Amino acid sequence: MKWDEFFVTGEPMIYAADVSIVLVSLAIVIGLTYFKKWGYLWREWLTTVDHKKIGIMYILSALIMLFRGGVDALLMRAQLAVPDNKILDAQHYNEIFTTHGVIMILFMAMPFVIGMMNVVVPLQIGARDVAFPRLNAVSFWMFFMGAMLFNISFVIGGSPDAGWSAYFPLASLEFSPTVGNNYYSLALQISGIGTLMTGVNFIVTILKMRAPGMKLMRMPMFTWSVLITNVIILFAFPVLTVALALMMFDRVFGSQFFTMANGGMDMLWANLFWVWGHPEVYIVILPAFGIFSDVISTFSKKNLYGYKSMVISMVAISVLSFLVWAHHFYTMGQGAMVNGFFSITTMAIAVPTGVKIFNWLFTLRKGKISFTSPMMYAMGFIPIFTIGGVTGVMLAMASADYQYHNTMFLVAHFHYVLIPGTVFGVLAGMHYWFPKMFGFRLNERLAKTAFWLIIVGFNVAFMPLFFLGLNGMTRRMYTYSANTGFGPLNMIATIGALVLAIGFVVLCYNFFYSFRHSPRNEGGDPWDARTLEWSTPSPVPVYNFAKVPVVKDEDAFWHAKKHNVPLYEEGPYEEIHMPNNSGQPFILGVIMFFLGFFLVFSWFIPAIIAGIGVVVMLAVRSFERDHGYHISPKEIAATEQKLRGDTV
Amino acid sequence: MKINDTLPLEYRTEENSNKIFGFWLFLGAEIALFSTLFAVYFTLWNRTGSGPTGKELFEVGGVIWETFLLLTSSFTCGLGIHAMRLGLKKPMMIFFIVTLLMGLGFLGIEITEFVNYVHEGATLQTSAFLSSLFVLLGTHGLHVTMGILWGAGILIQVGRQGFTPETANKSFIFSLYWHFLDVVWIFIFSFVYMKGLM
Amino acid sequence: MARLFPIRHVMGYIFSLVLSLVALGVIYWDLTFAAAMVILIISALIQASLQLVLFMHIGETDSKKTLYLNIAYAVFVGVVTIFGTLFAMIWGY
Repeated sequence: MKWDEFFVTGEPMIYAADVSIVLVSLAIVIGLTYFKKWGYLWREWLTTVDHKKIGIMYILSALIMLFRGGVDALLMRAQLAVPDNKILDAQHYNEIFTTHGVIMILFMAMPFVIGMMNVVVPLQIGARDVAFPRLNAVSFWMFFMGAMLFNISFVIGGSPDAGWSAYFPLASLEFSPTVGNNYYSLALQISGIGTLMTGVNFIVTILKMRAPGMKLMRMPMFTWSVLITNVIILFAFPVLTVALALMMFDRVFGSQFFTMANGGMDMLWANLFWVWGHPEVYIVILPAFGIFSDVISTFSKKNLYGYKSMVISMVAISVLSFLVWAHHFYTMGQGAMVNGFFSITTMAIAVPTGVKIFNWLFTLRKGKISFTSPMMYAMGFIPIFTIGGVTGVMLAMASADYQYHNTMFLVAHFHYVLIPGTVFGVLAGMHYWFPKMFGFRLNERLAKTAFWLIIVGFNVAFMPLFFLGLNGMTRRMYTYSANTGFGPLNMIATIGALVLAIGFVVLCYNFFYSFRHSPRNEGGDPWDARTLEWSTPSPVPVYNFAKVPVVKDEDAFWHAKKHNVPLYEEGPYEEIHMPNNSGQPFILGVIMFFLGFFLVFSWFIPAIIAGIGVVVMLAVRSFERDHGYHISPKEIAATEQKLRGDTV
Repeated sequence: MKINDTLPLEYRTEENSNKIFGFWLFLGAEIALFSTLFAVYFTLWNRTGSGPTGKELFEVGGVIWETFLLLTSSFTCGLGIHAMRLGLKKPMMIFFIVTLLMGLGFLGIEITEFVNYVHEGATLQTSAFLSSLFVLLGTHGLHVTMGILWGAGILIQVGRQGFTPETANKSFIFSLYWHFLDVVWIFIFSFVYMKGLM
Repeated sequence: MARLFPIRHVMGYIFSLVLSLVALGVIYWDLTFAAAMVILIISALIQASLQLVLFMHIGETDSKKTLYLNIAYAVFVGVVTIFGTLFAMIWGY
């Protein structure tokens, strides 16, 4: 292999990226050494099995990936702002929209959502950690190494360029002979394994580790949404595992699954991808719905309206989500019977979501509303997501979709559900639970400024795209000529994107500003909230609850506050059993990174060695006899005294 | 640590009960995984390009032996767990060794089958049918291989430590895995080989 | 010695062997495609259930309802994936 096939050459932007990667890495290494923080990094973060810290690492990774995906978006919008633009050529544009899509969905939305699950769910159910803390750490490092593997493609070997959905035959070896799409297959596979393990972990946690008295129908709605999301993960991700493996076999080992000769069926890829892909979008949206339920009920000072129907609607969504996938390829050539079936199921799946919207509205009705920053995101979500939802019903009709498919109308639709849905959801969640994670709130003034910039910027950026799509502008089109008339609306969209970007800059600045200026004495319940996580001090001690709470009602903490009922039983503290930290998940992650990297370049001997390394790590884990450590009642009392000023 | 003595040893701690429950969930995911492989196989099974069909390749003798070996190994695995619940370490270990040996026998036949196909010019690259055949059978075979390594590791631990809540828990979970692989084989036997040879 | 070979396990094993022989029969008997598929699916499902209930002890804990639900959901997803793929890619084309 020649050097210029290994390193991406000839592009100034890439050279700049190379330089900045080296500089940033050096800065990190020098900084850690100078401040003598290697030990701290290893002990507190790289080897942690604590769900709260793992959650924070997920969210931090998601924010970094949001930056990368956002820069991709700005580049695309810059290129499309005027006709016949020359900022990006077709090949670069293809690489950028591919990485934008993969990063935003798989390395931004998923980790953000999973990070929220990690921080919040054990606290909401009164548990001390998830069911399998070691597996939880493995999940994180699988995700992280998959993300790193994907990101390195930019400078080594070349980015994938066949779209985030990587359709064959374009993604085949014949039409994409460079290694870019190998990165796609392997990086997503590694991350996907992590996500599948999260699915098992959280289902067991929620079903088996709730505090006494917390029946299923007394759980906070966020926890319900997480339970159902993880059920979808458990059954959808194996399909992706197979699809990506088959892609790898075709590209690296010459099999004939998706080729155009020797019996291959290229369209089978699109089918399998979307069998996973549609449940995937529900995986990213349902936790957001859960966050909104908690936020809206807290800041209306009311119980969530229609609790039972919220649960039933999410169960219905989870089942239906496996029955709608072909609506992503109505135009691929199958007959009317197939398209008709999937049109019906797709329109049906809108109904339970509609039920939820009404339940949120009825929760707001006659509530005592506080317009905090999380609440702003929730209120912004309701009308704007509805636009995304109803355009989805338009797209659901197969015959009409022949007009809309793969135009900017579709792009506008999914951004109108993903951004007001998932992104606003995780931003609401982040602002809401930030004080629980770090012990201080984000500055409200800056947060609201960022919110308004984001919501206005978003609408200015994406509303024009509906009209561009109806006027005939297709997606993934790197430029257009002036006489199409697409210019003005594209320019407006670009301006909106800039405003959106400024909003995110303000949001990020808020972290630094709040770290310096926010008061630290607000206690564990700054929002006067309703659910169990707010009964702990902030930040939360490593064992979460000194005593396991006893739950008497839905909105357990609110119930305890309102009725002056104690959350905990009388009596002394008992010893708490905690798992030990371990370096194995991190090491396993690193080995998987190299396994993936070697397979990308078809270096089989090193890959086999890495594979043996994986088996060795599994054996080490199997033979390990580590029973954790215990925290004594005296230590618990001292910690609680320090954090709360009294004992529970 | 709370120990519930009314339950079999492998379930007695809450953590261990959770591990068994979690593994059942993982088996649900594996059902989805193998179903996808079957979906691919059923879609591509008669797209043989210029290569041979299943009917031309499959030999019923090897298949019957593979089925017998895997089924019997599932039986001996079940007997092993039963012995474990009776607290009998030596019989459990013998049953498990027999299980793993039969698994090795299964693998031997399957690898021979693959080598024969390749010698006859039927490789992973020949046609879509063959790609999906090799990947479906190969994924199952890889699971069996991992199972044999895992089972051997557990045998060593039972040998050294006897029956503790941990070793009993691991042995039981392994047995769930092994029985599951037999269930998958039943479907491969029926819908790949029997259907192909009809 | 007898207690090492509980009767339920032995009966389950023999029954599985018989069911496998029945499945084997489809290549020796002259059957329509549909009849053969029915025989194969029924014998496979019975054998799978035997494994689940007799050998894997799916019904022996308090979690059994959840475990059955898990298997049902998994089979639902599997069946939808298989028949949905065949429907969209081949039959409905």
